[in-house]
Parts: sequence; C-alpha cells; structure tokens
Amino acid sequence: MASIIGHNPHSNSIGYSFSQPTNAGNKEHSFYPYTDNGGSVLGITGKDFAVLAGDTRSTSGYNINSRYVPKVFKIGGDQETGEGAHILLSVVGFAADGLALKERLDAVVKMYKYQHGKPMSVRACAQRLSTILYGKRFFPYYVQAILAGLDEEGKGALYGYDPVGSYEREQCRAAGAASSLIMPFLDNQVNLKNQYIPGSGEGHALEAKKPEPMPRDTVEQVVRDAFTSAVERHIEVGDGLQMLIITADGIEEIYHPLKKD
Amino acid sequence: MEVLLGITGKDFVILAASKAAMRGPTILKAEDDKTKQLNEHTLMAFSGEAGDTVQFAEYIQANVQLYTMRNDTELSPNAVANFVRGELARSLRSRNPYTVNLLLGGMDKISQKPHLYWIDYLASLAPVPYAAHGYAQYYCLSTLDKHHHPDITLEQGMKLLEMCTDELKRRLPIDYKGVLVKVVTKDGVREEPFDNNRIVKSA
Amino acid sequence: MMDQLVRQYSRSPHQNEFYSEQEQHDLTEGLPPLSLKFSLPPVANHSAFLRAMTDDHSNPNCPIKLAHGTTTLAFRFQGGIIVCTDSRATAGSWIASQTVKKVIPVSRLSRGEDKPGSEPVPGLLGTMAGGAADCQYWLRYLSQQCTLHEIRHKRRITVAAASKILANLTYAYKGYGLSMGTMLAGVTPQEGPALYYIDSDGTRLPGNMFCVGSGQTFAYGVLDANYRYDLTEEEALELGRRSILAAMHRDAYSGGFINLYHVKEEGWVHHGFNDMNPIFWKTKLEKGEFSNVTSEL
Repeated sequence: MASIIGHNPHSNSIGYSFSQPTNAGNKEHSFYPYTDNGGSVLGITGKDFAVLAGDTRSTSGYNINSRYVPKVFKIGGDQETGEGAHILLSVVGFAADGLALKERLDAVVKMYKYQHGKPMSVRACAQRLSTILYGKRFFPYYVQAILAGLDEEGKGALYGYDPVGSYEREQCRAAGAASSLIMPFLDNQVNLKNQYIPGSGEGHALEAKKPEPMPRDTVEQVVRDAFTSAVERHIEVGDGLQMLIITADGIEEIYHPLKKD
Repeated sequence: MEVLLGITGKDFVILAASKAAMRGPTILKAEDDKTKQLNEHTLMAFSGEAGDTVQFAEYIQANVQLYTMRNDTELSPNAVANFVRGELARSLRSRNPYTVNLLLGGMDKISQKPHLYWIDYLASLAPVPYAAHGYAQYYCLSTLDKHHHPDITLEQGMKLLEMCTDELKRRLPIDYKGVLVKVVTKDGVREEPFDNNRIVKSA
Repeated sequence: MMDQLVRQYSRSPHQNEFYSEQEQHDLTEGLPPLSLKFSLPPVANHSAFLRAMTDDHSNPNCPIKLAHGTTTLAFRFQGGIIVCTDSRATAGSWIASQTVKKVIPVSRLSRGEDKPGSEPVPGLLGTMAGGAADCQYWLRYLSQQCTLHEIRHKRRITVAAASKILANLTYAYKGYGLSMGTMLAGVTPQEGPALYYIDSDGTRLPGNMFCVGSGQTFAYGVLDANYRYDLTEEEALELGRRSILAAMHRDAYSGGFINLYHVKEEGWVHHGFNDMNPIFWKTKLEKGEFSNVTSEL
C-alpha cells in the first residue's frame, strides 16, 4: 500500500506539487549562479530611532576576501555620500545579488521622489521591496534583507524579509550566517522572551516581563554584545562592525573594530 | 496503512488494530488479527513489514510464555515491554532487523494499574496514557489529547475509541476494514464487541 | 534601465483623459502577461533549478531557505465563519518567525495590519499555508483585483468569483514551483457565508470546513469530533482555538500565537493574537486535558 499512498505522511500532508519528490535535476547543477559571502546583520527599533548593523567581513568558503565590505546601505540619498537618505537597507547572503537589489531599490526610491515630490514612506518602500524580491520568485535573489527607517508617526520601523519577499514589521531581526546565534539573544534581551518578574507569583502564575522600547545607548550596547559574541563562535563574522542609526535628525554611522582572526 | 490504537483508563487498557491485511494495492484479508496475548495480563498489537510482524510477535510470545512456565510467575507489563525493547534493539543491530511497530498494553498484577507502552521499530520505548501507530497518529492523537483522562471507565474508553475510528473513517482515504478491539483488565484479555458498520457523516 | 523607468512613469499631459491601449488591454484581460512578469533563470528546466535551490524538502542542503507557513483552519457554522491559524514560519528546522500574520484581509486593498477596535471590517479573509511570500504576494494581488471589481461593477465581489481569480492564477503557474494552500472566507448578500479552499495545484473547492498545512490532521482530529453547524458563537470560537492548540502541540512546524477571526455578515472581527503557552497550561490544568504531559519520570 505504501507505494500507492506514499511513505511519509508528512510529505503528503500539504500535498502541493512543489513538495512532491522528483527524480530529475536534484543532484547535478551545472548552472549555479550563487555563492554565500557570509556575514551577519541585525536591526533593532526604538521609540524614535532604528539601528541597522552588520559586520564588514566578506568571505567565500574558508577564504576571507575583504575585511571591509559594508552590508548596510543608505537608500534614496546621494550616490557618493548617501546624504538625504531616509531609509536603511541591509542585505546578507550573496553580495552581488545584495548590491543589485540595493541599486534597484535606490533607483525606485529616487524615482518616487522625482515623480511625487515627496520622499517615499518606509511602509511604501517596504511593500515595494517585497514586490521587487517576488519579481524574481522563480530565479531568486540569494539574500536576506532588512529594511529600516522611521514611520509616519516618527517611530522606529523595521521590516524583515525572506529571499522571495515575504515580509513582516518587527521590533528586531537578525539575518545571515550568525542569525541562529544572534536571534535567540535578541528574543531574550529585546522582546524579553522567557523573562519573568521575580516574586510576581508561583509556577504558572509568574508574570512575564513586558517588552518596552529601549533607549538608544542600551540598543547600541546590545548590538555590540551581539556581534562580539557572534565573532567568538562564527568563522564568517568579524573584522568590523558597521552601525547605522536613523533618527529624525538623519543617519549617523558608527564603526567599531571587531576581532580580525 | 495499518491502524493501531491504545487507550488506558482507570482499570483497563484497550488495544485496537485494523482488520485489513494489505499487500501492495490489495486487501488480502478483511478479518486479520494483529494482536497477540503474551501472558494472562499483557497484550501486544503490531504492524509493519509483512512477515516480520508475525515472526517477531510469535518469538516474543513464545519467550514470555516460556518465562511464565519456567518461573511459575508472570512478567509485569513493564518487564515485558523492556524485554521487547531489548529484543528490538538487538535485532536493529543485526543483518536484517525486524521492521515492526508495537503497542503493548497490560495490567500490573501487583499495583492493579493499567500500563500502555508505545514501541517503534527503532526500539524506542515510551510509557503513555494513549498511543497510536501509523497514520492514526496524525488523526487521533489530537482527539485523545483533548478527550482523554486517566481515570475514565471502560465505557468512556470505548466511546473515545469510537471518536477515533469515526475520525479515521472520515479522513483516511483507505478502507482499513474496521478495527478489532481487545481489552485487558484484572480478569485478563477479552475481545470487546465493536460496531464497525456505523456510517459517519462528514461535516 | 533609467529610460525604461522614465517611459513607465512619465505621461503626456492629455494621456490620462482616455484609457490608453495598454490600460484597455489590462481592463479586458485582467491578468498580467504571465511569462513577462517574472525573470526566469537561463536554463531549460527552470522549475528543476528552482527546486534545487529552494526546496528543502527534496534537498535539505539547498542554499536558499524560504519561509513556510503551517496550520490553518476555517469552518462554517450557524453564526458565520471561524478562521484560526498558528503564527510560526519555518525555514528547514529554523524557526524564522513566531509572529507571522497568517490571516490576510483581502479586498479593499487592506495592508493586512491589525487595526485596534472590535468593529467588524467588511471584506474577505484569506489564510496562508505553504510559501509565505507566495501567499502574501498573490493574496495582495487578489485584493487588487477585488478592489478593481468593486470599482468596475459597483458591488463587492463574491467569494466564489474571488476564489476563482486565485485558482485560475495558481493553475496558470502550475509547475512553476509555487507553494500555497489557502482558504478564502467571506459573507456576501448573494452567497451568505462562503468558504473556499484554493491551492497551488489549481484545486478550488467550496466547503464547510478545511484544515490546511502540516498540522492539518491534528486540527481535524479535534474539529471533526466536536463540530456541529448549530454551534454558538462562543463555542465556535473556542473550538477553533482548541483545534489550533492541538496542532501546535503535536506538530513541530506549528506554534507561536493563536490568531482567531470571526467572519460575520457585517464583516470580519479579530478575536486576538494570543500566546499559546498560557492557553496550553490553562487547558491542561483547568480541564485536565493533555494527560500525556506529565512531570513524572
């Protein structure tokens, strides 16, 4: 019976043609247009600011190609200086795809301003980025993107993406090689997951701590801690930490050296 | 795919096994009994690779009976379960291991408590209040999670079993030809009448 | 690139006074030209390429891990339609998010953001299982089409028509590698409460009750056993919640928060996005369910 019904119930449970096993073309790929350049990025929002940070190492396999290749970009600003930008984009994964994506989004945001005479809102930009990513649904950009800025109310806004454009507004998000190291740390320190108010009750009556927007210096410290820790345990992360902070006053860039081994 | 279900209650264990014996796309027999009584108070239901199942069950049955005869005493359900697990673990490391999944139910003569063990062909052993093997796991465990309580009566247990088989009739695309139901109580093992011909309407 | 953009966005002063040829074409065709809209890899078999790159089911080492959605359910009852989902997105065994909104408001071009307040919001609801991006993108596309329908015909689209737009779309892309299992729920004057299941194979089914995703069987297990058409509103909401809880408990790909909606004649009402953990322990300790979870060794 197994041959008719299928062997693993879970392989059938969703039952889409996509999940059906195939015999052809899985093992050999002569066309492989991707490589992983490693590195990690993370973003955290506050009440009136957003931080996007990434390490500056670029790798391929076990080789370190460069110690300074930025992964966080200003969108919609001057080509050289980035002046006038009001949105931040970080891309991690395949650097060439990331750069192409950044260029495209940058062009879109600029065209928007020329045509509408006002800067593109972060929400509109977030939706547009999703559409751009989905436009390559069948030949995806090998990237994980995070978009940051200030929303209509001036609050920090952060959007996390998968490679083909599914997105969600969040308080914090880590992406890239060390995301599995950084994200649990952020869950605990930013969203206060599994933290309870001491003495508020016994067992299940224990009251969970409610996350609140963090002040800017705390956020910066959390970002530094996340990266120095990731550098200790991940080979593709290191060299430098580039931190871009967007506030109502503009974008500030902070560079911090990380271990170079 | 075969269906095995087990439910414990206050003073009983119910084991139910589908009655269809299947080979490839054919049902060879519609009155198959996939259970074996090991001693007075333990019953084992089995499913898996054709041939392996009955061979392994008979081997276990013979050895448990031999123990009873030699020592003039019964192995407890816990002892039997660990013996079975040991045999499966040994077989797993041999040239051709038994591919058999088991449910083992019994009453402990000393504590008078019901016991149910879930055992798979990789020799995992877990004591559980209710259990299922095969596709039945995906459909029945959530029902049992909701409706099972450790101190239910046999009557309530049979009602619970009926909820499970109703769900299988509703959602499983194959006819498993109903289930054979056996019950272990302090008085031993008996077959329990069960209405397999009830028509179940889907919502 | 720039020329193309300029051409696309710039118009002559009088151009807006009548439908352009392109607009007329769009109005009559409704759907965009399929093969031109998406870029394809320069290989003969693009779906095999996509599968090798992104399908972690057939290729666990695939380089691009896509976010997938999981347990969703919807059922019709005397008081309307209940729609309930979990909130977990996984990429392989990595939990990509625990806060995904898998119920997506369709029609009236809603952005799917939760507005506070308990007033019913008119429109349909769509659910998300399978590829997160596929569902988000195509349900958004669907809400565009629904809004256009409202503008053209001066009345709201029926659930039957909306579901057919989506089903025709997924059928047109069959074999390309889309992955979605979605339900559309809505109440319209023409149909009353209506529920449809649409998936990426092109299947479109009307029905009373559907569970979709890897946890579907567990949700069915609770839902089937306790379902009646004459459930009260209170009972129906609780059954939806309990069925998702069952799936979250037994299916590792489901978890996070329980997202609960009720679709009524006046529109849909959101009944919360609640952490499953306290609900689980409340269910266990107060009702004695989940007796397999013990502290005994």
